[in-house]
Amino acid sequence: MPGFLFKKLHFKKILNHEQKKSAGQYSSSVSLSQNLEENLRVLREALGSSSDVIIRDMKISSDSNIDAAVVYIDGLVDRALLNHDILRPLMFNLQLIKDNLSHNHKSLIDYIKSSVLTVGQITVVQDIDRVIARVLTGHTAILAEGATRALLIDAKGWETRRIEEPKNELSIRGSKESFTETLRTNTALLRRKIRDPRLTFESLQIGERSKTDVSIAYVQGITPDNLIEEIKQRLQRIDTDIILDVSYLEQFIEDSPSSLFPTVGSSERPDVVAARILEGRAAILVDGSPMALTVPFLFIEGFQNPDDYYARPFFAALVRWVRLLGYLLSIYLPGIFVSLKTFHPELFPTQLLVSVAAAREGLPLPVVLEALLMLLLFEILREAGLRMPRSLGQAVSIVGALVIGQAAVSAGLVGAPMVIVIATTAIASFLVILFAEPGALYRFIMTLAGGLLGLFGIVLVSIEMLSHLASLRSLGVAYLSPVTPLNIRGLRDTFIRAPLWAMDSRPASLDSPNTRRQSSGQMPRPPKTSSQQGDTQ
Amino acid sequence: MKRKHRLTICLLILLVIIPVFISGCWDSIELNKLSIISGLGWDIDADTGQLTLTFQSIIPSEIKSAAGSSGDVGQKRGDPLHTIQLDSSTGSSAYDALNRYSQQSSRRTFYQHTQLYVFGHSAAEKGIYPLLDSIARNPVNRPNVLMAVAEKKASDTLSVEAGMENIQAIGMAAQIKLSAEYSKFPVVTYLEFAQRLLSETTAPLAPMVGIIEQTGPEGDRVQKTRISATAVFKGDKMIGQLNEDESRGLLWAINKIKKGFLVIPGANLEIVSAKSKIVPELQDDKIMITIAIDEESNLLEYDGHQEISSDLLQDLEKGQAREIESQVMAAVEKSRALNADVFGFGEAVHRKYKKEWRDLKARWDEIYPYIEIVVKVKTQVNEIGEINRSLN
Repeated sequence: MPGFLFKKLHFKKILNHEQKKSAGQYSSSVSLSQNLEENLRVLREALGSSSDVIIRDMKISSDSNIDAAVVYIDGLVDRALLNHDILRPLMFNLQLIKDNLSHNHKSLIDYIKSSVLTVGQITVVQDIDRVIARVLTGHTAILAEGATRALLIDAKGWETRRIEEPKNELSIRGSKESFTETLRTNTALLRRKIRDPRLTFESLQIGERSKTDVSIAYVQGITPDNLIEEIKQRLQRIDTDIILDVSYLEQFIEDSPSSLFPTVGSSERPDVVAARILEGRAAILVDGSPMALTVPFLFIEGFQNPDDYYARPFFAALVRWVRLLGYLLSIYLPGIFVSLKTFHPELFPTQLLVSVAAAREGLPLPVVLEALLMLLLFEILREAGLRMPRSLGQAVSIVGALVIGQAAVSAGLVGAPMVIVIATTAIASFLVILFAEPGALYRFIMTLAGGLLGLFGIVLVSIEMLSHLASLRSLGVAYLSPVTPLNIRGLRDTFIRAPLWAMDSRPASLDSPNTRRQSSGQMPRPPKTSSQQGDTQ
Repeated sequence: MKRKHRLTICLLILLVIIPVFISGCWDSIELNKLSIISGLGWDIDADTGQLTLTFQSIIPSEIKSAAGSSGDVGQKRGDPLHTIQLDSSTGSSAYDALNRYSQQSSRRTFYQHTQLYVFGHSAAEKGIYPLLDSIARNPVNRPNVLMAVAEKKASDTLSVEAGMENIQAIGMAAQIKLSAEYSKFPVVTYLEFAQRLLSETTAPLAPMVGIIEQTGPEGDRVQKTRISATAVFKGDKMIGQLNEDESRGLLWAINKIKKGFLVIPGANLEIVSAKSKIVPELQDDKIMITIAIDEESNLLEYDGHQEISSDLLQDLEKGQAREIESQVMAAVEKSRALNADVFGFGEAVHRKYKKEWRDLKARWDEIYPYIEIVVKVKTQVNEIGEINRSLN
């Protein structure tokens, strides 16, 4: 069923695409002419009469009377840099320019680039389209009379958020920095973690109107080449107006768009992304998004947490089991409770049944509705808590706690065991944040199935869920690997977290060309000689 | 062509999904529409032959108040039967009585948590096969429900005050299990009873529950249930009972001793472990059965003046062996008198002498009282406690 819908949507998309193409945006590629006036006219036409577009006329040599113009967008450019390192040398080094120009008129642009401007990144372009595109991203363009080339100077500078502590992926011992909205800052954060010359950021622009910078980060020789190719292909296929967030990309490139489970990972932590890159994955960074995508994404990654690796392995294993159990609870508990109550009361131990039945006396709603109502109430509270202005948050939590916890029970609307079950489920659902969304959906499905069909229904939905999970793939890697298909070596980082010195190889399912991570046998132990000394003392 | 294909797939999916939901909620039940039966009793009027079915069901709301605020508990103290409700209905057969019960009940009966079946004395004597059949045919009845025979009427037994437990039948079941744990009387589930009934020679057993009266804390008479004997059945009819000693003897022989106390003249011992084996021997049509018992115990109490020595320990071991043997022989004598194979000797012979059994089976009732039985007891005293000499 969904397949048909998608096909229809796709058809419409193609139609839209055609229309958009014919509408056009600005005139097709034109080379710069020798006439500065002509060039500026084209620029004005393209950039419109927008008040933030600044075209600064000037003369860079009064004697030979060369007209020039600096074009930039106010707010995207570092003004101090512009004034100090671009305008000032151009105007104050008049004499030098004049001397030099007498030698060779043609290389005015080259001369400015090589000898006048004291900024780092300058490119020379001939295309007026490129000029327009770059100016829009914050570059400063210098055009001169008689030159068919323009200089594009990277003097970007705008207000940005500082690097802050991660808000969603907390860690006790790990680093306290998270990605910001600026792509360059994010790549720098990664570069600081991986100082390998083979760490590569491949850039492209996506979004017909937003022209959003996207970077694919990987380490050559560790990330498989075909993976990079596949990612690039998928990204290049995207044809859309705007990429506001990395999750836009996720929805365009994921393997199973109709699945409830995500097949693309994301993280706001540079340390997590760096670790994943060095496992043989690739990361996708988007300008304006404080998250990075990582692919391929495996199911087990949802249960891995940076603190697993920072804590010692024994506790990490326990926590991982708690997480697995908690996630199962958050999906199954209400469903199983409802099905036991409505279909299989014989499965309760007698004393438990008696107290459950006691709480059930005189309640108006059937158990399924009771459970669904409570689940809905929790979802409402959660969403309200998330979206509510901070100053009102306390009101929500007080009312929520009172209404759900106390009043509903004492008013005889909901049984106390049901409140306990829903509360446990609610808390457990926050253990695995990455799968909280499919978890919430499956929780509702399970409750409904348990209420309509009993354990039979729960088993049915479980079979559906498991077979679906087993059929998923993320960039060609089986979603449930290394559990199915089984890879014994890969299991070292699934249900347990092996000590770091024991994880010698990168995950085999990722198919990295360089499988060795470290030399084996690094288990710390006292050196032999010193122990002998200890004996003699 | 393609559209047709899609339609078929759609239809197939619907065909799969719809039956799932049609089968739907037919057997769903809300807990507050159930009457959870904790114990069932059967009585047969000896004169009219009418069967009375007694239902002991749990009143969950009362349990809630008892478990909840403590204020309620005080108020309920005077009411002896506040957590259970007793209903009875009479009819010519088990299902006739059950059928009539629906006229006086507001909720559907729920048997999956039944703890105990109690058979009235007269019902047990008249034969409980029809009752067992009515239980066995219905899948809602669990095979691990405990069996008990009432000394008098089952309905009276089920109406005795609950005591410490909040539900009387659960308490009675716990009482029977505890008596078995201390090796006093056998604990018999419905399944075990039925197995013995199905075997051609072995006699079914069930603990007997009587009612005693004690003076309560406020001077009033309080009724309590007490396990008093082991009922012995021949076929489905109760033909007699084993008293306390005989019951212990039976348990020794059938390897059901777990722990418990053993009182011998001058000393009291705690059984630590016990094993027994029934070994039949067939010689010229004569059956000899050896009951080999291997027991270990700790000394709990010693009344004599002697220093504890290895000689004394040997004496204690011998005394113990004598006591065990006499208990077993008491059970044997009683079973001979009743001509009921409570030990399962028949099955033991059957297992060892398959060919001869065909012949023996028919005459088992004639053979049984004359089987030669030898009891061999090996005992050992392990620990003597923290002191050596007796304190006096």
